[in-house]
Amino acid sequence: MPHYENQLVRQLPYGLADLFFEQAAAKTELERILQATFRQWGYGRIIPPTFQYYETLATEASPELKKEMYRFFDREGHILALRPDMTVPTARLVGTKLYDQILPLRFYYVGSVFRYEEPQAGRRREFTQAGIELIGAATPEADAEVVAVAIAALEAMDIGRFQINLGQVAFLAAILSEAKLSHSDLRRLERAIERRNDVELQRMLEELGIAGDAARAIRAIPRLCGDQGVLHEAQRLATNRAARLALEHLGRVYDLLCTKGLGGHITLDLGEVRGMGYYTGITFHGYVAGLGSYICGGGRYDGLIAHFGADLPAVGFALGVERSMLVTRLDVDFAPDIVMQGCEHQTCGSLVAMARSRGLCVEVDVLGRRGEELVAYARARGARHSIFCRDASTYTVADARGSRRMGLPELQEEIASWNR
Amino acid sequence: MEPLTVALPKGRMQGRVLDLFRAAGYPTDQNATSSRKLIFEDASGRLRFVLAKPADVPIYVEYGAADLGVVGEDVLRESDCDLYEPLMLGLARCHLALAGPPEMRHRNLRLETGLRVASKYPRLSREYFQRQGIAAEIIPMSGSVELAPFLGLADLLVDLVETGRTLRENGLVELATIMESQATLVVNRASHKLRLKTIQELIGNLATEVARRRDEEHAE
Repeated sequence: MPHYENQLVRQLPYGLADLFFEQAAAKTELERILQATFRQWGYGRIIPPTFQYYETLATEASPELKKEMYRFFDREGHILALRPDMTVPTARLVGTKLYDQILPLRFYYVGSVFRYEEPQAGRRREFTQAGIELIGAATPEADAEVVAVAIAALEAMDIGRFQINLGQVAFLAAILSEAKLSHSDLRRLERAIERRNDVELQRMLEELGIAGDAARAIRAIPRLCGDQGVLHEAQRLATNRAARLALEHLGRVYDLLCTKGLGGHITLDLGEVRGMGYYTGITFHGYVAGLGSYICGGGRYDGLIAHFGADLPAVGFALGVERSMLVTRLDVDFAPDIVMQGCEHQTCGSLVAMARSRGLCVEVDVLGRRGEELVAYARARGARHSIFCRDASTYTVADARGSRRMGLPELQEEIASWNR
Repeated sequence: MEPLTVALPKGRMQGRVLDLFRAAGYPTDQNATSSRKLIFEDASGRLRFVLAKPADVPIYVEYGAADLGVVGEDVLRESDCDLYEPLMLGLARCHLALAGPPEMRHRNLRLETGLRVASKYPRLSREYFQRQGIAAEIIPMSGSVELAPFLGLADLLVDLVETGRTLRENGLVELATIMESQATLVVNRASHKLRLKTIQELIGNLATEVARRRDEEHAE
């Protein structure tokens, strides 16, 4: 082994990973499936740049997310950052360029995002998000569509049993509208609700001087989790018109999802108040058996695009591709269909071309392997069939059915019967 | 139905927590719990208990290796894990205290510059001193922090105080309370959604018992 002056040359920074073999194939396959699903629902791809001005990406970002951004300078001294999510770059693109297009806009994206955080649950410091944004519609129908696409994506990836936790941040916002809390107090209160910690919540409400109906409603929020009944209970606690409207909207989204036959996947949860700073309406997270944290999350963010120009309502979700890889049951076809002995015959060349044109994956040996050596190689690669050329008109095929000698027309016919 | 997995802290809290579960309708076999087994089920087969080091309990639950756990608030806050905390169990009440030799009582910590503090809770200690505007160097330790001032390793220490005996025996006094703590039920976010009914039922049963004990305490 050569001597390396600097050991870092051979290392990766903590929280990054190389993907290869089955893992890389599995990721590619999941991304293909997700893109196909998004396209079926009428979403077109957007490809925003990987880095932008920090100022852009920090728009409405929580203090935690700002801390997690990778930042650097350009030569003019501007601060740049690697994108920590795809929603803000999409909002900038729409707000500055696509504000006069016919609405709604339906976009999907697949790409790396970067966060300086402790790697956990399949997440690294560079990870891949696949998701959609539906822009220019503030209707319950738009919200229900985005949740339905998330469900379709989870189903397409075959990840087993999952549940979508559907909340409405506007309900809490409406109840708190009279309390005039500072941003940091609001964050602390949200955190107590998020943790479902009633003792902490009670202590904070006292400290913040929130009492009466508002306090009663807020203390009830962490327990408002379940099915339809949650909405009735919440209606009784609503302290003003905005709170009632927020619940009506959520109820309408839930009904629409039930009509689509998706009600079984939904848990209504008004304690779902966490999130990226920019959410203004429904929010949701998807949970899968076997994965301790959420696999996807999203919601409505009506004020975000306005920061960049046009004031357009929007709703979307993002899914963690690496997390999905931990739970997908899809079998990734990674092995070649055919390993073929290398030779110079034109007929063999066209045979390979024929097999490839039928969608088969064909590896032609380039190391001059023959006989047993080629068989061993094909086995190591997990190839389904190996083909040996005898004289460009007779061949030997070795596979699960044994070893058979055959002529060219016979082999062509046989290959035609193989499929991926 | 698969039993729910509950991570319990080995040691101090273990017996009292199992008593609470027993009283709430989830009895465990005395033999199973007194032996050195790290995994055992309750009599109804609805719960599977695993015994872990207290500091590992929130990690088991955050990663979903356990659906629920019981852990002291002190350990929970130190871990900064992202969990639901739906119920305080009213057990193992204690507090996290700043302590030191008696002469430290008369010093104004805000004016100190070279303060060194030994602590098993580096994160909570750092936050506390920042909040108080006190410049302190935290020395992370994993046990016997009472030794640190004695040997001149640190001026002060942060440790969990239940009766105060350990401090007294080492000639130390409490200077401030950093936080109150008690045993807390924690729940994994995904489990909470995927097994909502079962978990809500368990929380309900435990809450009833906790409330009954609290009322009893008040009556006395």
